[in-house]
Amino acid sequence: MMANNNSAAIEVIDLVTHYGPREILHGINLTINEGEIMIIMGGSGSGKSTLLRYLLGLGIPTSGSINLLGKDITKISNTEMHQLRQNMGVAFQGGALLSSMSIGENVQLPLREHTHLDEKTMEIMARMKLEVVNLGGFEKLMPAELSGGMIKRAAVARAIVMDPKLMFFDEPSAGLDPVVSAELDELILNLRDAMKMTIVVVTHELESAFKIADRITVLDQGNILMTDTVENIKNSDNERIQSLLNRRPSNDEVQADEYLNRLTGV
Amino acid sequence: MNINTLEGEGYTIIGLEGDVDLSCSPDARKSILDVLQTNKNLLIDLGKVSYIDSSGVASLVEGYQTAKKQALKFGLVGVSDAAMSVLKLARLDKVFPIHDSVAEFEKEDA
Amino acid sequence: MPESATHPVINSLELVGRSTVKLIEEAGYYSALLVESLFWILAGPFIKRPVRISSIFSQMMTMGIAACPIVFVLSFSIGVMLAIQMIYNLKTFGAESQVVVGVALSVTREFGPLITGILIAGRTGSSLAAKIGTMQVNQEIDALRVMGINPVRYLVAPALFAMMIMVPVLTFFSDLAGLLGGAVYTSIEIGLSFDAYIDRTVSALAVADVMQGIFKSLLFALIITLVGVSNGFSVTGGAEGVGKATTRSVVLSISYIVIADMIFTYFLNL
Repeated sequence: MMANNNSAAIEVIDLVTHYGPREILHGINLTINEGEIMIIMGGSGSGKSTLLRYLLGLGIPTSGSINLLGKDITKISNTEMHQLRQNMGVAFQGGALLSSMSIGENVQLPLREHTHLDEKTMEIMARMKLEVVNLGGFEKLMPAELSGGMIKRAAVARAIVMDPKLMFFDEPSAGLDPVVSAELDELILNLRDAMKMTIVVVTHELESAFKIADRITVLDQGNILMTDTVENIKNSDNERIQSLLNRRPSNDEVQADEYLNRLTGV
Repeated sequence: MNINTLEGEGYTIIGLEGDVDLSCSPDARKSILDVLQTNKNLLIDLGKVSYIDSSGVASLVEGYQTAKKQALKFGLVGVSDAAMSVLKLARLDKVFPIHDSVAEFEKEDA
Repeated sequence: MPESATHPVINSLELVGRSTVKLIEEAGYYSALLVESLFWILAGPFIKRPVRISSIFSQMMTMGIAACPIVFVLSFSIGVMLAIQMIYNLKTFGAESQVVVGVALSVTREFGPLITGILIAGRTGSSLAAKIGTMQVNQEIDALRVMGINPVRYLVAPALFAMMIMVPVLTFFSDLAGLLGGAVYTSIEIGLSFDAYIDRTVSALAVADVMQGIFKSLLFALIITLVGVSNGFSVTGGAEGVGKATTRSVVLSISYIVIADMIFTYFLNL
């Protein structure tokens, strides 16, 4: 599987992280190729959100390394990280737009911070990205005036305004109706195809995952169960993966006595 | 990125070459607006562009709008697949006059 | 372990210990925030990542200019109250006219900076904690960081800069309002003319008296900003957490202000 010609855009090696005294990720190894959509899947508490935080450089791991575009972010200087961040876009779960700014200003923010482009150019770029996410003409509105789905799309516009090479999505379909969610899936595919982005999507939505994934990584209790293509994940005979796919608890037979004790608190 | 300016019959061709990204798109923008300031029809040749980012596309958009205001002709020539997919993403392929070649533009122009 | 954990004395000792450790940890965090903010204010322009001037000015407006009416009302009242109390006291010695000196010194050295500090802690310190706390909960702080925008440079440095300018300015304004309050009451109560009151105030006050108050107000500005901001950054647990952090920042900064005031007043008057 490692024999493909694509070079790695993201490489996680033996990543161990702690939250307080508790170990959350127990040695994650993951390679994400340039131009692929990698879905990171798992139930709540699987460590998928934690993994994303560390991929984004928002935490200092206990051990291991994280290479983004060939740079180990656990070792590089602040200046190098600052430059690397211009090649990273993130769409947070709730959008995380700055509430004090209009949609247009939010989208322009990375440009203002990182470039010295002409005012007009920045405006056009922001409007173009809003068009890409189907929010043309909304730049004057404030985040509070938008629906949840629109905020998420505006957040995508902000994330891609610098044309990043790496794009991260945190639960893109959470809290969206199926139609809007499908639109967002379409957008993610477009970003890969038209902008050649490498895309990491953290989600627990199976349907959308199967639709857009090039490969899927299944996390469970801080370990990677499997990283493979959609087909192979679907056909896996791993019990934990099957229970995740079928959404039922892994031990189906009820232990009558133990269950009764649990309910009565004995 | 290299910028080559060629004078044609009643129009100017700006040929962009290499990567048009954040670091050099302001130069491209300036060349485009400079030519338009001299009241000349403008063709942008993207044939040798290996990569164009949104700041580059934004400069094209601004150029087109400026040309329209002055009732000048503006067109893109030799749009590569890579550039086309970037334009398509923002549905700009339906906005810009896109010609396969300079010859084709001249034919339409005539 | 279970035994010691249940013993009330050990329990409360442990609580004291934990709180102390937490406060010391926080003091470390305050210093780190201060150093980082100063870095951005001083070095930011040279590495082409300056602190936003527009943000400094807008914050100076909201935390400074907009606070003027309330500072005036409170300081004026304090001036009147001081005059009432002092005239009552001085009457015993038949020295009512000394009230001018008393009010002048109390207002400029103590009450001007203190009342301004407490007011700004309640007004601006809480809003800093609430604003940054809400941003933390909404992942806006994370978003800033992943966009390569340092939250300390973007949020803390402008606030600190604005506070370090506006709190001393407000303190001076509060001094004036307090003296005016004293003057108005005194002229009514013991018939001392307004002009005479001003003359005596000016001759009673040394520049050092006013400067002592201004110096303390700088310290208060620092305390309010750092406490508010750090409580905002440490918010966890949604809207409820924001509320808690806001309350905590007000209580803590007022306490720190009063204690710092006592300590510095002692050393400044040795």
